[in-house]
Amino acid sequence: MRPLRTGSVPDGSTVSQCETEMPGNVLPTRNAVPSGDTVDVWWFDTRAVAVTPAGLAGLDRGELGRAESLLFPADRHRYQVAHMMLRQVLAGYTGTAPGQLELGRERCPQCGSLSGKPVVLPGPAPAGARPVPSFSLAHSGDMVVIAIAGHAVGADVEQDSARCVCSLAGDLHPDDTAWVTGLDGEPERHRAILTCWVRAEAALKCTGQGIGHGLGGFSVRPGQSAALAVNGCTVRQLAAPPRYRAAVALAGGATAVCVRKGS
Amino acid sequence: MSPPGGADAASVTDDLRAFLASATGRDELLRLPPGTALFGTAVGLDSLTGTLLLREIHRRFGVDVAGEDLNLDSLATLGTLAAFVAERARPQDGP
Repeated sequence: MRPLRTGSVPDGSTVSQCETEMPGNVLPTRNAVPSGDTVDVWWFDTRAVAVTPAGLAGLDRGELGRAESLLFPADRHRYQVAHMMLRQVLAGYTGTAPGQLELGRERCPQCGSLSGKPVVLPGPAPAGARPVPSFSLAHSGDMVVIAIAGHAVGADVEQDSARCVCSLAGDLHPDDTAWVTGLDGEPERHRAILTCWVRAEAALKCTGQGIGHGLGGFSVRPGQSAALAVNGCTVRQLAAPPRYRAAVALAGGATAVCVRKGS
Repeated sequence: MSPPGGADAASVTDDLRAFLASATGRDELLRLPPGTALFGTAVGLDSLTGTLLLREIHRRFGVDVAGEDLNLDSLATLGTLAAFVAERARPQDGP
């Protein structure tokens, strides 16, 4: 895919983003976990990544079972690519081979079930072990986004729906519902709804609740400032490919987003 | 979706398939077997499409799945969801 560009995003704010291009499927084997207020954001177009035996060998039993359960080859391909790339990206930050990484879930902070934030489980720490990063994986349509940070991070991406999404306005915070319904024209309302959706979902993935308990507990509509502080996170809109909306949230403050181009 | 009018599970199943295919732009969803798990496995519906589906069911059939089925057992498969909706369907205004 083409590298993403810094510039104006749908909410009118401008996000400062660095860009790094990676040739082909070759990912760097050594990345420093972003410090403090920086998030690394990796984008992959699943159509441009081949599923390889070596890549599949890195997936764990749960991931392989999930891939196998998918009915349609296209869904299976997207899922396999998303998880292969997640493990490759994490391997670059941790120095642990993709197949040796143990991934698990924390408990949901709201209900206590094991449906909370996906995490890299710390293994026995060998000499020279690097810090374990926080990560968030999202995929929609053909696109995969992976956010990496030094502390809790959440990311979401949604492809524009082929259908009217106005029925989702009622799931948002009442202030956001009022903002969306007051906009002129359906395309504008649809864009606004999806923009609010990805911002809310990114914030809820950052805290580990996910959207299973609803996503209307706080307002996320874009304002004048580039960053929005909500739910203990700072939420930023990401520049996304055409027909996609995406956002990232970081516990505390996220003042810099570094976009990495995958393949 | 076609208006429900005395909905039976087979016609609701067809309606749900048609909605999903239309919402995602994926014609293969028109051929989903009734035993297909809609969420989590099998077709990998994302949360946004799943929520859109439940809102459409409420609009078309007057059934609030999340409100009436607290355990969400009805969401196990396309067939269980269609049966749940058909049993409770109340004719709604047209589109």
